[in-house]
Amino acid sequence: MESPPNKHIFPFSLPVDSDHKATEFRPFSNSLPHMRAFHLAWLSLFSCYFSTFSIPPLLAVLRQDLNLSAADIGRAGTAAFAGSVFSRLAMGTACDLLGPRLASAALSLLTAPVVLSTAFISSAQSFVLLRFLIGFSLANFVANQFWMSSMFSGSIVGLANGVAAGWANVGAGLAQLVMPMIFSLIVSLGVSSSTAWRVAFVVPAIFQAVTALMVLAYGQDLPDGNYWSHKHPRKASNKPRENVLGVLFHGLKNYRGWILGLTYGCCFGVELTVDNIIAQYFYDRFNVDIRMAGAIAASFGLGNLVSRPVGGVVSDEMGRRFGMRGRLWSLWAVQTVAGLLCVLLGRVDSLWGSAVVMCCFSFFVQAASGLTFGVVPFISKRSLGVISGMTGSGGAMGAVVAQLLLFSGSNKFSTQTGISLMGLLMIICTIPVGFIYFPKWGGMFCGPSNEPSSIDQDDYSLLE
Amino acid sequence: MAAHGEPLWSPSSTKAGEVLKAGQDQLTVTWSYNQTFPAGTDSAYKTVKVKLCYAPVSQVDRAWRKTVDNLDKDKTCQFKVVAKPYGPSNNSFTWTVEKDIPTATYFVRAYAYNSNGDEAAFGQTTDAHKTTNLFEIQAITGRHMSLDIASVCFSAFSIVSLFGFFYMEKRKGKLAQQK
Repeated sequence: MESPPNKHIFPFSLPVDSDHKATEFRPFSNSLPHMRAFHLAWLSLFSCYFSTFSIPPLLAVLRQDLNLSAADIGRAGTAAFAGSVFSRLAMGTACDLLGPRLASAALSLLTAPVVLSTAFISSAQSFVLLRFLIGFSLANFVANQFWMSSMFSGSIVGLANGVAAGWANVGAGLAQLVMPMIFSLIVSLGVSSSTAWRVAFVVPAIFQAVTALMVLAYGQDLPDGNYWSHKHPRKASNKPRENVLGVLFHGLKNYRGWILGLTYGCCFGVELTVDNIIAQYFYDRFNVDIRMAGAIAASFGLGNLVSRPVGGVVSDEMGRRFGMRGRLWSLWAVQTVAGLLCVLLGRVDSLWGSAVVMCCFSFFVQAASGLTFGVVPFISKRSLGVISGMTGSGGAMGAVVAQLLLFSGSNKFSTQTGISLMGLLMIICTIPVGFIYFPKWGGMFCGPSNEPSSIDQDDYSLLE
Repeated sequence: MAAHGEPLWSPSSTKAGEVLKAGQDQLTVTWSYNQTFPAGTDSAYKTVKVKLCYAPVSQVDRAWRKTVDNLDKDKTCQFKVVAKPYGPSNNSFTWTVEKDIPTATYFVRAYAYNSNGDEAAFGQTTDAHKTTNLFEIQAITGRHMSLDIASVCFSAFSIVSLFGFFYMEKRKGKLAQQK
């Protein structure tokens, strides 16, 4: 096999398998090409989360200047994720065609101008449109996971995926902390508050563009090079290029992808919803100032630094000891506990009680996301991109549904009741995990079947 | 502390029914003690605070501007116009609408406080249902030409650099194939 002339480091500085995917994960190294890809991937996704969630902490100011009603804010929050439902599905195909590097950088560079156009908006409709378009950038999650799956071997792909997604998710939390600070800083320079927030959005826009350019300049799709420098784009496993529609339908037919889409909607979707509403919730219910509300909201998202990777590690450990049954049971258990804590969060009346419950809740709900992607790589090797896209899409869809049903401003019940109801929904929608069954590895209640059906034989890969 | 039901004051403002521009236009408020009430009721009043309050039409679906009976939690009147010592008559104040007042429909309310700082009476420029004598304020837009131009330039840079890279990649691909 001819190696492409550019960007080929041989021998690799990390141990690799036969596909040249790394078999060790060293997050604090920058070795080419694997760890550098990891850093570029999580950093560029981080900037997308930062941009998307740069708006919620400043809502208290925006709602005055744009004369927003609670219904407008709810619509915009829903719109923020509605776009990503489709863009996440499309990103899977784009990664197949263009490679994760070009696909993710293109999306980031095309949505950075949208973030900048915050300078122009002056009505509720334009606000909703803005959040809708910025939300497209969350499709980079699929590119991020796809890239990690191309660079890291099956034995550690869960960990790599978990850390890459977890550290990127921190962007949502950091935005809640940093944006009010940036806003206050600009106001202290003498700028009026209604101009200051417009200026503040220059920061996430530039950050997003810079990370995208870094991905283009320093990243590569595969351990051996880039998609476009090969004559025919191919997956790292050296298989001939699959028919894209065939792969798509193969993935869509798999019921496990749908169940995980639902459960991911109930952990990650809930996380996205909380990111949207929590700063306003603390600001309005407990009368804290905008920076304090941002700080509390930030501590929700910052937990991702640790909790999502821990979820991935727990899944791997359970998988080692109890096989797929362990992975599924731990997913169900962690997500159910998260649901219970969410119900509790809506009932707590004190500021500090709420903050503490929120932190516990954040740990469990984010770990559940990590645990979900500990199961995803095992569903289908042929349609990994599509299954990841379906699950990721389900996450965004969960956020849309939660916002529409419970936090769209025209509700008869208060935000705290909405939060408790959301917890209840989480518990109910996690039950379907019990229905997931792999003939080769079993499910939560049944062991593996003695004669694995030949139809499913091709679906599974032993990623161990 | 709940707001008292009976207005003991009669404030009035100019410009009822009009649209005022924030940072530019002026509002004159006059208030005096309502003589139909028994004499001596006002002996406890020490200071007066005049506030700008949201009319119900601007409170719809906006819980952060909600009217509640408990004055500590009430969010109807969020902007202070003026605070003055109490006098029974000939009180007036001309206020230039401040720059950061948001676009909404408003009325004016005057609260009288006793020496403990407790609210003792109030009056407002509108009726009990807050439907008459309302006026609008138009906020200053935060948009600036320089900011608009900077945004357009950065956006153009972002898109151009993307297509630049695509072009370079294609060229590298062609060169690699030619070798």
